[in-house]
Amino acid sequence: MADDRKKMFQKDLEIKFTKAHGDNKMEGGEITDKKVTYYRLGVDQNPRKVEMRKAGQEMADKRGLVGYNPMMHCGGIPLGQRALTPSFISGTDMMVESDDLHYVNNAAMQQMWDDIRRTTIVGMDMAHETLEKRLGIEVTPETINHYLEVLNHALPGGAVVQEHMVETHPALVDDCYCKIFTGDDELADEIDPQFLININKQFPEEQAEALKAAIGKTTWQAAHIPTVVSRTTDGAQTSRWMAMQVGMSFIAAYNMCAGEAAVADLSYAAKHAGVISMGDMLPARRARGPNEPGGISFGHMADIIQTSRVDAEDPAHVALEVVGAGCMLFDQIWLGSYMSGGVGFTQYATAAYTNNILDDNLYYNVDYINDKYDGAANKGTDNKVKATMDVVKDIATESTIYGIENYENYPTALEDHFGGSQRATVLSAAAGSATALATGNGNAGLSGWYLSMYLHKEALGRLGFFGFDLQDQCGATNTFSFQSDEGLPVELRGPNYPNYAMNVGHQGGYAAIASAAHAGRGDAWAVNPLIKVCFADDMLPFDFTAPRKEFGRGALKEFEPAGERSLIIPAR
Amino acid sequence: MAYEAQYYPGATSVAENRRKHMSGKVEKLREVSDDDLTLVLGHRAPGSDYPSTHPPLAEMGEPECSVREMVEATPGAKAGDRVRYVQFVDSMYNAPSTPYFRTYAAAINFRGVDPGTLSGRQVVEARERDMEEVAKFQLETEMSCPALASLRGATVHGHSLRLPEDGIMFDMLDRCRLENGVVIMHKDQVGRAIDKKVDFGKPMSEEEAAKRTTIYRVDNVAFRDDAEVIEWVHTIFEKRTAYGFKPE
Repeated sequence: MADDRKKMFQKDLEIKFTKAHGDNKMEGGEITDKKVTYYRLGVDQNPRKVEMRKAGQEMADKRGLVGYNPMMHCGGIPLGQRALTPSFISGTDMMVESDDLHYVNNAAMQQMWDDIRRTTIVGMDMAHETLEKRLGIEVTPETINHYLEVLNHALPGGAVVQEHMVETHPALVDDCYCKIFTGDDELADEIDPQFLININKQFPEEQAEALKAAIGKTTWQAAHIPTVVSRTTDGAQTSRWMAMQVGMSFIAAYNMCAGEAAVADLSYAAKHAGVISMGDMLPARRARGPNEPGGISFGHMADIIQTSRVDAEDPAHVALEVVGAGCMLFDQIWLGSYMSGGVGFTQYATAAYTNNILDDNLYYNVDYINDKYDGAANKGTDNKVKATMDVVKDIATESTIYGIENYENYPTALEDHFGGSQRATVLSAAAGSATALATGNGNAGLSGWYLSMYLHKEALGRLGFFGFDLQDQCGATNTFSFQSDEGLPVELRGPNYPNYAMNVGHQGGYAAIASAAHAGRGDAWAVNPLIKVCFADDMLPFDFTAPRKEFGRGALKEFEPAGERSLIIPAR
Repeated sequence: MAYEAQYYPGATSVAENRRKHMSGKVEKLREVSDDDLTLVLGHRAPGSDYPSTHPPLAEMGEPECSVREMVEATPGAKAGDRVRYVQFVDSMYNAPSTPYFRTYAAAINFRGVDPGTLSGRQVVEARERDMEEVAKFQLETEMSCPALASLRGATVHGHSLRLPEDGIMFDMLDRCRLENGVVIMHKDQVGRAIDKKVDFGKPMSEEEAAKRTTIYRVDNVAFRDDAEVIEWVHTIFEKRTAYGFKPE
């Protein structure tokens, strides 16, 4: 296909590489230049680094123990021997300092993970059946509303049954609440709107109908425990905290005895029988319970991100937002901190959601697919191309070579993605997502991912870090194998899937592939309709419809997080 | 008919260069003295003995072992040398070699080597004197251009960056410089200053680098144009995919 499109990254790279930022002297030149002057200005060129250096000095003076000092780098040769440049958040006009995309420096990133980790979905139907059949208590919309009023007092840490109880201060836990949702429109009409996630209101009509059909007449609680609790404990605490408050709220709302045997039945039914965690428990060697990032399947991540309900007509955009969210959570936080340490993972991950380089590659692919396969990349089910090896080869090859040629024609793009792992993520995410969009088949997308890795390696004689020799060379062999411990549909694979547990820079891409397959079809969800609805909630501090924009707001210090402790610390 | 190793597909100069690197039949372009090599590697002082981790094998009274009888130990293993490394960084702007082709060259043509392949760097670990043999081979031949390839044990950033005006691949630690038309190295692999300037000779011209390179580039030999290589990649990909079904 003739490549006469204006590159989506052009403006970003022009501003990033041919305009001065701080004192980096990068004024002039073209983004296609192969040569440049390196001024070796060190940290003095960059306002954020200067600020950090000052903070480090002040901290050392105050505590009498040295800390951050950029001159400790390379025996006195500080960062900034090349120009330190900010980046644009893809899909936005937000230009941010790279440092501000480390999750420690970004409140929005922290909150995204907080909001996932502190969420659990708990079914109500078994509890209601137990109340009615075992205890003869009538359950009506009115009693459900009353129960929810009690629960929204109790869930943040309010007492409901016992006397002389310690309680949490409401202003510290104001992000904690529980709403419900159901596929039963009649019941939904009877629920007090403050307690309802209204599927009809939150989703486009077609998606709403599909979700309601899947959920049927069942009713589910979408509960978010306090951010401060979740941060102090761990993801596995979420369902336990919810369970305790659910039990007490049922006892209070339905005037039950706190000791009779029937309540034990209710306890199991209400607290444990219908619990859905955002992440599965990990094997003992990972030492993590449910609701930790390593257990969040790629399908769950695709469902947590909500772009599909606000921009359903642009499935590539849906996939790109999932890339951003997935790279942040799975690379920056899970692999980068839980599984490893240090700061390097931010570099891997941010390549996929900054400066529109991946966006350009994927939208090029959309045009290519729509030209060659009669609109197969548009939203729809009747327009998909059959997932054959020929189709995988064609789309993944064109996508990968296009992306490689961008790096060759635009040395500044190559310089922006200065590590092979960054390039491998971007090229393979574009190839895999495009193949999934065109076929509506996530595993075909995964196949495109692996072919992209092969082509990239052969074209450039290099790929990523050591591990790529294993994971990206053997991956094709289990793409379509669903034997136990060998393969799964991509939606059910996750960060702890064999060979993926050290896949730096990959997991956000895999999540995007899972998302692209379903967004491409216009599906209302990828793997779990309950999770899709649970996060369709405007009250959550983090806006899951636009994770990349939220990261930008975090970097620009415009994001208001939850769980802050200013109420209980000395005023500054 | 006797088997003849084929190494790599492709009809372009890049493919041909890849075959050369893999076969070890590369042109020698420069001399690097043993002392200079020792100096830039930075593992020991020039002229000093090789430090050892065990006595020579001949003195160790090894147990009877058929594998030991079949496989002769390398000189470094025989002597009990430590395992040390050499690490190269190759620019994406037509450096002659690339990480994978350095790895293939080492693994195919040398014994007792443990190559590691990344995007920006390629390391070979081996018993010290065996490693030096690999390092010297790669430094002295057309596998390396002193401007576009360099020894970097740490702080390897640079392979993908735009070239400075003098054409010497960016190095944060400034280990190499262009002086009087030749590239000198005045720090060792990990950036420690060394006593003399080691002369690696003239950089390749842009034309020569483009002719000798093993990297495809759209402004030289485009990967898209080497249909045989792409077809071969597709074949490997299909076969690996199909093997997941364990075909009979």
